[in-house]
This record gives sequence, structure tokens and C-alpha cells, in this order.
Amino acid sequence: MARSTKSFRSGPEVDMPLLITVVAIASIGIINLYSATSAYVDATQRSALADVYVTQIYWFVIGLLLAMLTAVIDYRHFERLAPILYFGGLISLGLVFVLATDVRGSARWIQLGSFSYQPSEFMKPLVVLMVARHIQNDTKTEARSFFDLIVPIGIAAVPAALVMLQPDLGTSLIYLTSTAAMLSITRIRTATLAWMAGGFVVSTILMWNFGLKAYQRGRVTSFLNPEKDATGTAWHAIQSQTAIGNGGLFGEGFMQGTQNQFGFLPDQHSDFPFSVFAEEFGFVGCLVLIGLYCFLSIWSLHIASQAKDRFGAALAVGTGGIIFFQAFFNMGMSMGILPVVGITLPLFSYGGSSLVTMLISLGLLMSVSMRR
Amino acid sequence: MATLLQRSDASEFRKRYRWLVLFILCAFGACVVRLFYLQVLHSDVYDAKARRNIIGERRLATTRGVIRDSHGKVLAANRPSYNLYVVPAALDLDKTWPRLVELARLSESEAARTKEQLLKLKEHERKRDQQALLLVDLNRDVVASLKTFAEELPGVSVLSSSVRSYPYGTLGAHLLGYMREVDAEVLAEQPEAGFRAGDRIGAVGVERRWESYLRGQRGFRKFIRKRAMRERVEDLEERYLGEDRLREPAPGRDISLTLDMDLVESAERAMRGQLAGAVVVVDVRTGRILAAHSKPGFDPNVASGASGQEAVKEAFQSYYSDPMTPTLDRTVSAAYPPGSTFKPFSALTALEKDIVRPAEQVDCRGGYEYGKRYFRCTGVHRHVNLHEALVQSCNTYFYELGSRVKIDDLAEIGARFGFGVKTGIGINPEARGRMPTRAWYTRQYRGAFRGGFTLLAAIGQGATTVNVLQLTLAYAALANGGTLYRPQLVRSIETADGTVVQDFPPRVRRVIELDQGDLSRVQAAMVGVVTEKRGTAHGARIEGVDMAGKTGTAQVSPLAPRGSDQSDVAYFNRDHAWFAGYSPTVSPEIAVVVLIEHGGGGGKNAVPVAMRIVRDYERLKRERLAAAKQAPAVQKRDFP
Repeated sequence: MARSTKSFRSGPEVDMPLLITVVAIASIGIINLYSATSAYVDATQRSALADVYVTQIYWFVIGLLLAMLTAVIDYRHFERLAPILYFGGLISLGLVFVLATDVRGSARWIQLGSFSYQPSEFMKPLVVLMVARHIQNDTKTEARSFFDLIVPIGIAAVPAALVMLQPDLGTSLIYLTSTAAMLSITRIRTATLAWMAGGFVVSTILMWNFGLKAYQRGRVTSFLNPEKDATGTAWHAIQSQTAIGNGGLFGEGFMQGTQNQFGFLPDQHSDFPFSVFAEEFGFVGCLVLIGLYCFLSIWSLHIASQAKDRFGAALAVGTGGIIFFQAFFNMGMSMGILPVVGITLPLFSYGGSSLVTMLISLGLLMSVSMRR
Repeated sequence: MATLLQRSDASEFRKRYRWLVLFILCAFGACVVRLFYLQVLHSDVYDAKARRNIIGERRLATTRGVIRDSHGKVLAANRPSYNLYVVPAALDLDKTWPRLVELARLSESEAARTKEQLLKLKEHERKRDQQALLLVDLNRDVVASLKTFAEELPGVSVLSSSVRSYPYGTLGAHLLGYMREVDAEVLAEQPEAGFRAGDRIGAVGVERRWESYLRGQRGFRKFIRKRAMRERVEDLEERYLGEDRLREPAPGRDISLTLDMDLVESAERAMRGQLAGAVVVVDVRTGRILAAHSKPGFDPNVASGASGQEAVKEAFQSYYSDPMTPTLDRTVSAAYPPGSTFKPFSALTALEKDIVRPAEQVDCRGGYEYGKRYFRCTGVHRHVNLHEALVQSCNTYFYELGSRVKIDDLAEIGARFGFGVKTGIGINPEARGRMPTRAWYTRQYRGAFRGGFTLLAAIGQGATTVNVLQLTLAYAALANGGTLYRPQLVRSIETADGTVVQDFPPRVRRVIELDQGDLSRVQAAMVGVVTEKRGTAHGARIEGVDMAGKTGTAQVSPLAPRGSDQSDVAYFNRDHAWFAGYSPTVSPEIAVVVLIEHGGGGGKNAVPVAMRIVRDYERLKRERLAAAKQAPAVQKRDFP
């Protein structure tokens, strides 16, 4: 193996394609953030947003340092730490209900000194670690039945339930979808898959009737019938699509998107940064950005396929799953092919917790990649 | 790759790896397809949407053109109307209301009625917070005092709007028309006209026919709706509004009619005492309509909404339930049997076809036997020739004439004079009238044509019908030697500053082929109708009025037999009274037709009306001539 002899000489080799892609996406995100929040330069109402791009740069630097630190550590150490980290995460999720500050009807943040953080974001890699640990220890060779899957699904479902109560539908969806992605590296009985598909349908119906808040239901119904409710949630979706369409082939130009600059996009710095980008850089710009996310998702699968052990493979698939699903859900809702759910665009949206968590996850991925 | 072999199901994953990659590619592929749809295929749609988000458009109202008569008198103009609005929830009933009643000078009953309306609004969940119209068309003094004490009246506002006003009220209303709110049909059918809900549009008459000229074009001013604080408004306007940010409104064109309002007033005066009827006066040298009056009428001010929409609704309810159909324009929209006013045309036919000699006499013994039927005359005229038969309106003579003439010859002469064909005045739906032919009767009576039909056609009865304007133009042709004109109502179109944009010359419809000798005989007889002692119009003539013509008493119902006393007959069965004529007898200027619906005998009832109108025409001519001599430079127009 040429690769390992090489790494013997110069230590573990940095995965340059991964690093470059991540830095590229984050940099475009910060530039985009500058434009997305510039509309508020003088507006007293939300002037706090005016220089969030600087904050985002700080977070990026901090996150990058933490990611390097994570990458240097052999990811196998995290296998032992996983339970402690996971339960710590669960506790902080529980604390949200006690300490959280309420932002627009949902309690997601915990105030720590001068800054607030979002435990549900940090929980994402912890769920991935815990499930990966389970997959590593599950040495069964024959195909798995439903009972074998109860534990990994439970690992994701418990925090998902807690987050649902905040309420934050998007994040709990990410826990579940990234776990599902990880389970794809194990063998599962066909019958079990069929049962689970059926169970998914039933639980969706149950969730719809009993688990979802009215506004969450409203998002889906207005997605299905945007004309019916052109002022509420659908209005956001329509304005977002208008922004994207307004961009055209080459975009309106940096800082020139009217939908963005005139404030027609709701939460354009956190929920709809893609619409801002699409309006200002057009179809061509979007192809580049989607290409980067696509590469990142596939690259993590590639890393998984070459990982030394099942833990590393699961870790890589889980991290790739987070990135893929978040990117797809966020862009999908921006362009109107998915209902509006509050999911951020990884590395791109404003938010310290989200950015730092994502970078740490990518540090884990790097660690796997460097030790394959 | 040895490490992979340690994993029990690593090979499984390698198989799935491809599927997972495919899944990712599909998902992002879907995104790309959607982006292509939004950003490439339909970019223009969203571009426009985004523009509409930031660019607003304020409409700039235009002013509707003014309609004037031929002497510059304003017939339709615009005036501001002040309406009082209140926000019911914001109005204090104890403090503000009494002050409002005092300032608006409401009578006790008005105040009570309005208060009731207000109380209802105050209880309405939605409406109590919205501006509601309370009082319509306040007078200027009230507006002034309301504005002065505006501070004492929280929740009350006075807003002005432009309403169409018709200074002459019901006079000429049928020709002028009125304004109505544009309906869904017009909005859907004429998207290019730029109407919006709530706009007003000409309903009938000139207002409708000349709508596109009168309306003008409204302007707009575009503005930036919201703005990013970072940039100056001027820069944003420069960037997003471009060149077409402002279009000044273009005022509508003014229209001058051929009508002489003094003559219309004269016709109205002459028709007082009559319930229903129509008068048309036409210049025989041009075909221009000098006066038209249809009775009963309606007030276009009310119909146009000057007194509020409630009043409009009430007014139309009463119009439509009225058996006298006040909205019907009797000058063109209804056809009547012409009766004896048709006899000159029968006489012309007989002369042209050489079936009677002018000197030939017929013995009238009060009727005419034809087949098994007996056709009655109006009296016993004894021996009459053509001239005497016209002067005395002897039916027997014309029955004899009718027994010799072919009905298609009558119809052919009638058609030459424009009967049975629309005159083409262009405003209001026109009744075509009917000149029955043999073919028509054959269709109508399944092949059984009878000679009696021709006898009736010769005296203008039977199936023959005409509208009043048709008859007037035909008499104008009799007067001017045979030129049939197109009726003309609009004289010219002008811009708001008085520049003539388009001037309409008279249009000749045809020069009728006639033997001038025949025509002279008929004209002489029409002079005789008025001047000769036995003439049917002689008894009602006014000394000094120089007029020729023919009376008519058109039978409407067999329940009112000829010669019976009309006052014994139910109103709607009574005969129509006609007079059709021209003046002066030498080098004629005007043709006048008077129709009095169910007015009884033409000589007794219609002739005096025509006489008075001709007398007033002459008087007006003299007065204007005198005024022109005194002050050669007469100001052409007065302003509202």
C-alpha cells in the first residue's frame, strides 16, 4: 500500500480535497452573509445583524482550529468517549427546557456567559458517534432483523424526541436521516426494511395528527397549496423562489439582489441564505455551490469505503449524511421542492453553534480520512 | 485494502456505495432541474415578480372630455363631489356626533336615519374599523365648515371625487347618456382599455359611443416601494425605474354636438302636456340633428351616481318598473306605424309608375270596398284628386291608389328614402322599422298574399313601421329635393384647449332618383296641408309660421276604430299622433317630426307642437343674427 508507506514518512496525510471544499463553501458563505445582512446597515430594527459576518469569521476560525485538533486525534479514541459525550448532550438538551431563551416561539438556545449556544446542533455529531460505536460493536454477520435495529434507532430517536419538543422539526429529522444513512452500511433483512417502510408511513400519519404543531402542519399544507395562503408561510416560499428566479442565468450581481436587499426574504442569513446566493450569482453560481456540496457528500462516502474499521466507515457516512441531508433540505425548501422546515445550510448559514459543530464533524471525517 | 476484509459486511457496503452515490446525485440533480426551471426557463416571470415587489405604481387620474352643443353650451362636464366618510369605531356618539349633525346641517329626519346607519356599522365586527361612506355630495358651504372644524371631528373625513354632471338634466339625456360603474364583463372583454374595478364608463348615448375619445388616458408614477437604507432613493430610482417612471395623464377629448340646446328646450316646452313621444329636428341641408327629445326622460345626474349608489339603484328600479319606459330613446330605438305621414311617398310611387294622373279624381264616400272587406276613411271627402287627397288626408283615394300599385314598388320607393334600414346614427340601439314587400308577406302569411295589404301599406298602416329619425331624414329629403343624408350628431372633436382634432362634414347617403316635377306636386300638397282651408294642419297653424308637412294618425289597435272618440279608449290603445314637415316652404332649412304616443289625432295634437318649435327656430335665428351684428366676435364657448 503506497499510501500507508507515504504516511509513515510524513505522518498522516491531510485530505486536501476535503479541506479545500470545506474552506471554499465556508468562504462563499461568509461573503454571502455580508450581502444578506447588508440590507440592515442603518435600519435600527435589526442593526444587530449588520456585522454578523465578522462574528461568523471568528466562529469559522475557532471551528477550524477545533476541527484540526479533532483531526489530529485518532478518531478511535472517540469510540470510548462516545457514551459520555452522548449522555452529556442529552442532559444539555434537557437543560434547554429549563434555561432556554425563547426565540420566536421555540426554545433552542442556552445562554452561556455572553454567548448562547444551541445544544441540538452539538447533538448531531454525538448521535453519529454513538450510532457508529454501536455499529462497530455489532459483530453479527447475518442480516439484521428489526430487533437488532432498536438500539441504533433509539439512540437517534431519544434526542429527536427532545428536540421535537422545543419544537424543532428540522434538527430531529437530521438525527434520524443521518442514522438511517449509517445503518445502510450494515446488512438488514428485506422484510425488516419493508416493515420499517410501513412503520414510517404509520408514524408519519400519527405525527401529523398528534405530534406536529399547527404552524408545522401549516408549512406542509401551504407547500402543497401555495395559492391558498399567500400571506403566511407560503409567502416565504414564494418570495424565496422569486429571489432565485430573479437571479437568472448569471445572477443580479453581488449585493444587487433586490429580493435580498429590500428585505423580502425571511431570515435570509440563517434559513434562506441559498436564495440570497442564487439571486446574486444566478444559475451558474448555484451549479458551483451544489457541485461543492455534492462532492463533499460523495467524498465522505468515498472515505467511508476506504476506512480501516466499521466505526470509521459509519462515522464518515454519518457525517456525510448530515451534510447531504441538511444541504438538500435547505436548498429544496428554498427552491420550493420541499416544505419550509427550519434547517440551516451547512457551513453557509449564519450561526456559531451550527458552524462550529459542522467543522468539528468534518474534523472527525478528516481524522478518518487521514487514517485509512 | 486488507482492512476491509475484517469487516463482516464490508463488501455489502461497497455494493451499496454506488447506490448511495446515485441517490445523492439524484437529489442534487433534482435541485439543478428545479433551478433550471426557475432561473433559466422562467426567469422572466420571477424577474417581473421581484420588480413588482419593489416598484409601486400610483395612478394619475385623467379628466373626461366635456360635451358641448353647437353653440358651446356645456352638456356634460365634471365636477368635484364631496363625500363624508367616518370610521364608526372612532366616532364618539356623545361628543362628535351632535357637532357633526350641526356642521353638516342635517335635518332631524336625516340625522335620525344616518345615526341608525352608524349604529349598525358600529356593531359590525369588521366594518366598524373601516372607513364607511355616510353622506354623499355635500354642498360647498358644509364642506368648508367641516374642514374648518376638522379637529373637533375625530374619525370623520371628507374626500372628494369627480362626478359627471349634466347641467341640462333630463334634456337630451337619451342622446348624451350617463355614466355607470364598469362591470366584470367589460373588464374581461377589454383588458387593453386599462379599466380597473370601480372605474366609470359611458353607459348609453354619446357617452358610450364616444367613450374612447372622452375617457382620456390615465397616467402613472412609479416609485420605489421599500428601500434599503444604504442607498439614496435617487440612485435606486435611477437603477430600477428606468425611463418610463412617469406618464402624465392625457385628458379626454371634448366633443361638440350638432344639437342646439335652445331648440331642444323649445321641443321640451312644446311637448309639455303630452305624456310620451319624440321630436327630431334635422337640418335638411346637412343631415345634422339640431334637436332630439324623447319623453319621458331620466336625469343622467342621478343615473351617474351624483347622489350616491343607493340613489342610482332606486332610480333604475323605478325606470324599469315604469310602463312608460323612460330610458327608451323614442327617437331611434322604437319603430311606429307612420300612418298618413307615409302618403307623400305613396303619391310619389304612383306618379313615378304613372298609375294615377294628378288631375284624376276619386269619389270618397267614407270608405272603400275591396274584396270582402270595407276599408274606412277618416271622413267623406267626395271628389278628390291627388293634391286634395294629400291635403285632406283622404284614405279612400290612397286605397284606390293602393289597389293599382304593386306593394314592392311602394317598398322600393320607401327604401330609397331610407325606410326599413338603420339610419346609422351610431348611438343607442336603433329600431330598423319595416317596409313590407310581397316576399315578406309571403314568408309571414305562408304564401297567402292579399291585395288588402297593399291598400294598408299605401296609407302607412299594416306592417309598415318607421323610427322617428328615419321619418325626419326622409322628410328632409322631400324638402331638399331628394338628398338623403346620414344623420349627424357629433360635429367635431377637440382637445381640452379647444384645438379641433377632427371636424365631421355632412355625409350624403344617396341622391334619390326622382322626377322633380312629381316632387314639386307633393311639396305643393304638403304646403296645402297647412295653408289650405281644408288642410289637416290648417286648424292648428300659428300665423306667420311658414311650414309644410303632413299629419298622421296612426292606428295602434283595432280596439280604437277610426273616427271614434279617443278619450273613450284605454291609453295604450289610442292612436299615435304624427306631424312630419319642414320649414320654410321655400329653400327649406329644417325638417321636423313630432310623434305623440297615443296622442290621438295628428292634426289636433302633433301640429301645434311642430308649429311652436318652428316658430322658436325662426326666433332663435333672428336673435342670433342680431347678436352677431352687434358683437361680431362672439366668444364661442363658455366654461363650466
